This record gives sequence, C-alpha cells and structure tokens, in this order.
Amino acid sequence: MRKRLLSAAALLFLALNGWAQEPVTSETEKALKDEAASYIFTESQLDEDADVTQDVIQISSSTNVYTSNVGYLFSPMRFKFRALDQKYNDIYMNGVQVNSAENGRFSYSTIGGMNDATRGIDYASPFESNTFGIAALGGSNNYNFRASNYAAGHKVTLSALNRNYTARAMYTFGTGVKESGWAFFGTVGYRWANMNTAAVEGTFYNSLAYFLSLEKRWGYRHSLNIATWGNPTERAQQGASTDEAYWLANNYLYNPYWGYQDGKKRNSRVVHNYEPSALITWDFNINDDLKLTTSFYGKYAMYSGTRLQYNNSLNPKPDYWKNFPSYNYDVWGESDGSNNDLAAWQESYDYWRAAKANRQIQWDRLYYANQQMNAVGGDAAYYMLARHNDHLAFNLGSTLNWDINRENKLQAGIQLASNTGMHYQTISDMMGATNLHNINNYAVGTYAGSDPRVQYDLNNPNGTVAKGDRFGYDFNIVVQKATAWAQYVREKGISHSFISAKIGGTQMWRDGKMRNGLFADNSYGKSGTARFLDGGAKIGTNLNLGKGHVVGMGVSYMTYAPTAYSNYGGSAFQAAEMNNNFIDGLKVEHMVSAELGYAFVTSFMRANLTAYFNHGTRMNEWQNYYYDDVNSFTYVSMTGVEKNYYGVELGVRFNITSGLTLDLIGSMADAKYTKNTDVSYLLSTQGTVTHDVLYNKGMREASTPLTVGSIGLNYNVSGWYFNLKGNYYDRIYLSYSPSLRYESTLIRSGAVDVDGTLIVPEQTKGHGGFMLDGSIGHQFRINHHPLSVNLMLTNILNNRKLVSGGFEQSRSNYTTDQTTGEKTSIRTYNFQKNPMKYYVQGFNFMLNLNYRF
Amino acid sequence: MKPQTIYKGLALLALSFTFVSCFDSDWDTPDMTNPPYGNNEIVEDQAKQVTIADLKAKYSKAIANSSFERITEELQLRATVIGNDIGGNIYKQIIVQDATGALVVGINGTGLFPFLSVGQQLLIDLKDLCIGGYGEQPQLGDEYNNSIGRMSTEKWEQHVKVLPTHDMSQIDTLDFFKVAQADIDRYCGYLVKLENVSIGDAGYPIAPEYKAGTPLIYNGSSNGYVHHSINGQSMSKLLLRTSTYADFASWVIPSTPVTLYGIATRYRDTWQILIRAEEDIKGN
Repeated sequence: MRKRLLSAAALLFLALNGWAQEPVTSETEKALKDEAASYIFTESQLDEDADVTQDVIQISSSTNVYTSNVGYLFSPMRFKFRALDQKYNDIYMNGVQVNSAENGRFSYSTIGGMNDATRGIDYASPFESNTFGIAALGGSNNYNFRASNYAAGHKVTLSALNRNYTARAMYTFGTGVKESGWAFFGTVGYRWANMNTAAVEGTFYNSLAYFLSLEKRWGYRHSLNIATWGNPTERAQQGASTDEAYWLANNYLYNPYWGYQDGKKRNSRVVHNYEPSALITWDFNINDDLKLTTSFYGKYAMYSGTRLQYNNSLNPKPDYWKNFPSYNYDVWGESDGSNNDLAAWQESYDYWRAAKANRQIQWDRLYYANQQMNAVGGDAAYYMLARHNDHLAFNLGSTLNWDINRENKLQAGIQLASNTGMHYQTISDMMGATNLHNINNYAVGTYAGSDPRVQYDLNNPNGTVAKGDRFGYDFNIVVQKATAWAQYVREKGISHSFISAKIGGTQMWRDGKMRNGLFADNSYGKSGTARFLDGGAKIGTNLNLGKGHVVGMGVSYMTYAPTAYSNYGGSAFQAAEMNNNFIDGLKVEHMVSAELGYAFVTSFMRANLTAYFNHGTRMNEWQNYYYDDVNSFTYVSMTGVEKNYYGVELGVRFNITSGLTLDLIGSMADAKYTKNTDVSYLLSTQGTVTHDVLYNKGMREASTPLTVGSIGLNYNVSGWYFNLKGNYYDRIYLSYSPSLRYESTLIRSGAVDVDGTLIVPEQTKGHGGFMLDGSIGHQFRINHHPLSVNLMLTNILNNRKLVSGGFEQSRSNYTTDQTTGEKTSIRTYNFQKNPMKYYVQGFNFMLNLNYRF
Repeated sequence: MKPQTIYKGLALLALSFTFVSCFDSDWDTPDMTNPPYGNNEIVEDQAKQVTIADLKAKYSKAIANSSFERITEELQLRATVIGNDIGGNIYKQIIVQDATGALVVGINGTGLFPFLSVGQQLLIDLKDLCIGGYGEQPQLGDEYNNSIGRMSTEKWEQHVKVLPTHDMSQIDTLDFFKVAQADIDRYCGYLVKLENVSIGDAGYPIAPEYKAGTPLIYNGSSNGYVHHSINGQSMSKLLLRTSTYADFASWVIPSTPVTLYGIATRYRDTWQILIRAEEDIKGN
C-alpha cells in the first residue's frame, strides 16, 4: 500500500511538473547551448577565407522558441539568420555600438576564447524593444562586460575536440562586488591545434585570449568600469575546392592551401589577428527612474592574412584548373572533344593519386624557381604577401533610460563612431628570392615594362621591396558616423507597443599612400569626402489575446549609408586598392521590413510562428575577381541592387514530461535579387571602367540553407542531460558569379535563344541533407564544488556530402580573341561544372570539463 | 580587492604570453642538393654524351626535311639554357646551346622560365625524345601530327636533370652580323647581339594587337606575331619577330638605333630574331 501511495505521489509530482507554466531549462542544457554558441560564433566560421564570408549572426531570445535555438542549431551548415548579411546584426558592449564603421560588421572572433566573459548578452530580435538601441534587422546584442555582472569564484575549463582546434584551457576568476565597491573579473584562455591534430589537414590554431574587467561603485548612483581584452591569434586556413579535387584526394576536407617544404607541412594562408580593446563605462543612476549609461570603446586591430603570390609564372595552386585531369579530357561531353586527350587525363589522374604531396603546394619547387631567378638577377617568381587590414576605432555610446511611469518608457541615445582602416600589403616571405620590385605585373603587357603606368607607386618608381615592405597598395579609409535615436515603449492593457526612430550622418574618405601609375592624379593623398544621411523608423506591437495567445507585428523603414569598404560586401570605392574614386551612382540603401508573429503558450507547449518580409532597394555590392573575357583582374561595382528576403519561421517546444521536451524548429525562406543590376568593372591591367548589365534577377543569397528543419529531444534526469537532434538542410545556393551573367558575356557565349532572349545560367546549388547531433552532460560535485562534464557530438551519422557553401568559378568555358572580344574556342575544362565548394566536417565532438571553486 | 590578486593575475597573463610562440615562424630555404625539378636519377655518362653539332649531324635529314625522328639510342646532351618564356615572347619553348650549336626544345607548358633560367646547365636524356626541324630550325620534342612538336611537361621532367652549374660566361654571345649571319646551318638558334640597329616601323608599338589596315607586318593570319625589318634589310632574310602576347608588346619602337640581344632562330632561310624580354633591348 505504501508503495502504491509513493508511486501515485510520484506520478502526481511528475504530472504537476509537466503542467508547470515554464519549461525548465536545466543548467546543463544552458551551459551546452552557451558552449555551442560561443564555439560557433567565435570560431567555426574561421576556416573559410576571411575575404569571402563570415556571415553568421548570433541571435537569441528569451521568449521565442525559434530565435532562441536557431542561432547555433543550424550553424554546422553556416545558417544565416533570415539570409541576412552580418552588417544587419548590431552589436553593443555596455551600450556602445561596436560594429565596424568601415564594413558594418562585428567580427565575433575578436571575443573568442573568453567564453566566461561573453555570456551576459541582452538580445533583441528585429521587432523587440530593448533598452540599448533600435533592434537591427538581424537582431541586436548587448554584451554586459561589467565586473559586477560576473559571479565570484574560480573556474577552470578544459576542452578536447576534433575541430579547428584540438585543446582548450581557460581559467576565470571573479570577485563579485566587494563591500568597498570594487569588483574584478578576469579570464585567460588558450586554444591550440597543430598540423597533426587539426581536423582539416594543413591547418593549425594558436590563440591566447584574455579579458580583464574592473569596476568601482560609488554608492547607488555612480559606477565606473574599465574592461580590456584581446586574443592574439595565429591560425591557418582551409580553401574551397572543386568536386574533382575532393574526389581525387578522396577527402571531403581536402585543403589546397598547404604543401610540404623540406618534408614539413606549410600552409600558405596564415592569419594573424590581434585586436586589443578597451571599454570604459560610466553608469549614472540619476534617480530610480532615470539611468544614463555612457561607454567609450577603443581598439587597435591588427589583422593580416598571407597568400602565395606568383609573378608572371605558373600558378602554384595545386588545384589550379590546368592541373586537373579534366583539363585534358572533357568528361562532361560539352565541348566538341577535339582536344580530348585520354592519355593525358590518365597521366594527370595517376599523378594526383600517386602521393599526397602531388596534390598540395610544392614549396620546394617554388624556392628552386626563386634561386633560378636570383641567378639571373630577376625578380622573385614566387613570394608570400600579407594583406593587412588594421583598424583604429573609437566608439562612444550614451543612452538614457527613463521609466516615465509603469506604462510608459522612453529610451534615447547617441552613438558616435570613428574608424581609420589601414589597408596595405607587405611581403611576408621572399621565399629565398633576393629581388622584387613594386611593379604592377598585371599591367605589364598592356603597357611596356618601362611605362610609368605599371608602377604601383610613382612616388618611389621601380622601388625594390623585401620582407616587411609595403607592396602593391597602401591606403587608409576613414569613416565617421554619428547617430541619434529614441524609442518610446507603452504597455497598456493587452498591448506592449513601441515606436522608435533614428537619424544619422556618415562621412568617409580614402587617403592613398601610394601613387598608382594607372591613376597618377587620383590615387595619392586624400579623396573627396562623401557624406550620407541615413535613419528610419520602426513600430511594433504585441497583443496578448489571453489564454496563451499572443500576436505581434511590426514594420520599419530604414536607410543605410553605403558600406565604406569591405572585401566581402559593399564598397563605396570603385577600386580602393588602386584609386580614390567613389563608385558612380552610390546611394543610401533603403530597406522596408515587416513581421507578423503568433505565439501560443500553455503549460505543455510553447509555439512561435513568424512571417517576415524585407525589401531592399538601392543597395550596393562590390566584388573583385579575374574576368576571363577581358584577361584582367577586375573590381566590380553593382549599384541599384534590389532584393527581397522573406520567409516563415516555426519553433515549438512540447513539455512531454517534467524532464522530457520535444523541439520542432524550422524555417522556409527566400532571399533573392528582384531585378537585374547595373554593373561596372575596372580592369586592373589598364585602369579603364566598363559598364554592363548584370542579369542577376532571381539569384539567391548563397552559402546558407534556405530551408531548415529540426526535431530534437531533450531529457533531464537526476542531474543528467541528454539531447538528440535531427537537422535537415536544403536549398543551399553557391555564390553566383556575376561575370557569367553580364549581358555582354551572355551574348558572346551565345546564350541567346531564337527570339533573342538571353538565357541566364541557373545558380549552382550545393547538396543538402540530414545531420544528426547529440549531447550529454552531467554535473558532479567534487569537494562540494560543481564539476560539469559535457560532451557534444555533431554529425553523428558522418554525412559528408553536405555542402556548407562555396562559389561558382568566374572563369569562362571558352577563350576570347584578344582584339575582337569574340569567342574563339571552347575549352576542354568546364568551369561551370566545377564550382568551388566547402563540405561539412564528418563526425566531430567537443568534450568540456569545467570546475568551479 | 587585494593588490596581490591583481599582481598575480597580471603575472599569470604575462607568463601565458611567453608560452605562446608563433607556429608559422621563418622558413629556411629547403636543401637544393637534389633540385626539386627534373629527374635527379639521370646519371651523367660521358660515353653517352653527344654535342649539339653531333646531334644535328646525326639527324640532319629529319631537320632539313622539317620532319622528325625518334631517338632510340642512349644519348645524353649537356647544354645551357639561353632563352625561355620570361618575357612572354618565346612560347612553350626553351633554347639551349653548347659550344657547338643551339637547339630549340619544345615543351608543352607555360611559365617555364623560373625553372629553366638563362645560364642553367642541363643534362638531357635524349632517348625516346624526338628531334626534327621546324622550318629547318632544329628542335627537340615529341611527335605532333607527324612532325616535330612539343613534349609534355611530365615527359620533359623525366628527361632533364638540373646540373649544379649556372654560368652564362661559358656561353658565347655571337655578333650576329660579324659571325652568325654568314652560316645559318651552324649558328641558327644561337644567342646573338645586333649592335646599333634600327628597327622598322618606328613610332609604332612593337607588337600591338591586330588592326586591319595598319602598315605593320603580321604573320600569316591576323594576329599572334608582328614582324619588323632590321636595318632596312629584306624581311625575307632577316626580321624581328615579336608576339602580341609579349610583356613588352606595347614598347614603342624608337627612331634611333638600339642594340638587341636575342635568339637567332631560322625559318628556312630567314633569320628570325626573338628577343626574350624588354631588357634585351639596350639603348632605348
């Protein structure tokens, strides 16, 4: 009988728990999410070329099931929130906005390795009011870096994983707020992998991180905090390659960036990054209802990325198109086959397959070539360049929060930002060569070697360069921004509403440090100053209809000054590496947005369904690449871009029992160009600009799955936490190549149907699919102190065929007559069948132990 | 907070910095005892060695007929590179010379110059290569459409060994007018000097892209090469031949005389001077 009573009581207890108002999110689950998020946002994107994409947005929400999960859930496939560029995600630190004034983005990697310091984040999704600014289209995050925000005590974390790094150790110490009003917090971390342990062969990771914060409070009214941090990092990168290379290497993580030098592995793409930052915050509680927060942020960022350069010689990339078997034989059957050479195909195939060294960079040969050039007094045939993007940034943010009364609240603030971006190239390794001149070898040929137009710097003609010297380009971009904003929030009855507006001014100029021979009169010294006025308004409301039903809606109209300079997005300058010219037709971007949401909350479930729409006009985009048909590297500006971003998002959490929850998360989105775009490109070989029409209507945002779905089970029992998630990804597009879709290219290549309509190539897709992830965690107690052990398993079924991103090759399948510009012959190699792709890592794990004392 | 705590923290931070050193430090030049180009397994054998003159004599018929013959004997040739594609004017060829003669070597690859620089001595294993004549210019290579063509880069690297000697002083730069011009069979392919010559079509770029109606002499069909006279001599005897793809194609021909260095190739009885790079034009 007693047994029965106990069982009944237990059942009742379970049932009551199951019907509790809020699902219990266990400490362990939260820790796992934090860990996953901090890994993803600060590190998992880093293996890509920093010039291509780092588009991830860290978004979360305390109220929306979809938003609170999506940030990290789909990150192994580099899911972009609403397919938006990261510049639409505003990042604040203690109330000051810290997105780069130059490129609009915040680089999450700069706060990597200091996880314990970066956990306190106040998130605002696009139509959520908040206390620090107007929520951005991709959401806004405000990090709280005040020393008093951290718990007192010590914590040691040790991690083992098989990803871009292998081991991590962190130590954290916090004092909490002392009676004296002082608080201190500090953390030190180190992340490591060498070439033998990193998941992608030929990469390594070497990063130290520190974060120190000191706060002093004077009574209730004032407090002053100073925080400083940085993470000197050295890491080697992975490059995208073609399916043929992955097949020949029999490895979905084939990395063309490394090779053997004297028997040792060497990577050609090594990034050095250190961004020492400081943040001073003054919190002033004017009275119980009025608070003023003012923060001043400064950083000096030093970023450089090396690359192997060749000088008029053979391209040293192991996966250069001429090195592939299919260069010799048209395996696609699309050419006339007249140049097919099966024996050469076999010879090349055998060579690729014979030894790993054959499919990697052959450093020894490059050094040999340079010795040959030394013997004839010639310039280096091969050398290493470092592209530097250094920044000196100052940001000031001041925000007033006024709780007028219980129903009405007002926030207002200003944000000032100044950024001096110093962009230059240096010689990072002469690779045994003794001579190199600061000459534009791309222009040699168009102009004779003795022509002044081939000089990179007419102020120092025929200058010789050696290790550490600046080469090719050297310029500063200065951007200054000022924004004022205000937000009024009203909570009355069933409604929670806000209206907000902002207005800002941006000015920018370029300051050239070299006088480029192709632009002798407008490359050295300051350009003109471009000024833009931007701003906008946003309005939103949530209506609590009772019985757990909530409806939310919002609309906004925002304008954005053009991005001043970014290698992976927009640029206000035509070719900042060469001259002072702004892009013709540069305009302030407009974005109209709307969102409609429905939430249903009961004791057994919480559901969110949201539909959104963003329509952008007058947008600017910019790229640079080699354009075959003109035999030249080109700087490409696109103006008047129009895009639609829309979709539906669903998040449901069912509380099945007190410990068991089921999550359904999914999104179906689209993000595409809605009209063809004006394009102009500058030829680096001669400095001339050509205008064309880009047929990009219908092209989609790339390198993110536009369809995602997930089903997940979470189980908490006796201090244990288990989770299993099946994630599905589809509609992954690769970055489209503009040059294949210029009007002139389409006509030249004969992509015209009988009635004269241009046939625009479809955008290449990557392979989607299913991935199973899981995790397990437990909190033990040792000497009365908690020891947490978490194990995260990703891609448990080892599905290696998932494409996380990539890009179409910009080169043509045909050759072009130098003089007439006409198509002359079809190449055996088919660039359009060989897009560059990244595949996901197979099964991988991360084991974390942390101990608090 | 105790100052000691801060000091300890800072000391720990400083200590941790010292632990972290660069992974990608300075790289030393690799050992080049066995050059990472060509075939180091070829063993030099005096008994097998022939001179270029020997070789030309041995295959004189194939050379004269502009046909080819495959070399079946175990023969080796020791010669020095005198011309390559450094200026984009010579294409998929190098030219080698020894004390007795010069040969064009056809290799189906671009960007050869950093691996086969002028002055580099090579040992070429001739067996299984082809020799023949292209417009009577002796050439090593492989069969192509029943005549002498280029060999693949893979084949070339199997048949060449880079020797330790890199020395142009052993190579004669002949005075074209005083020595070479008189004996085209003997001196074709040699490195020559043409002192104080005037080039035809002064005022024009040396090898502009083809435009119909220009007075420049293009080779054959529209584009590819532009021919200029030298010292006003008949272009059926002597000409300057420049590719429109040459790096110096835009160099404008001066009206004053210049001194040219280059390779004196032949096409039947016409001397065709190929300069290797803009530096081969002196005094402009």
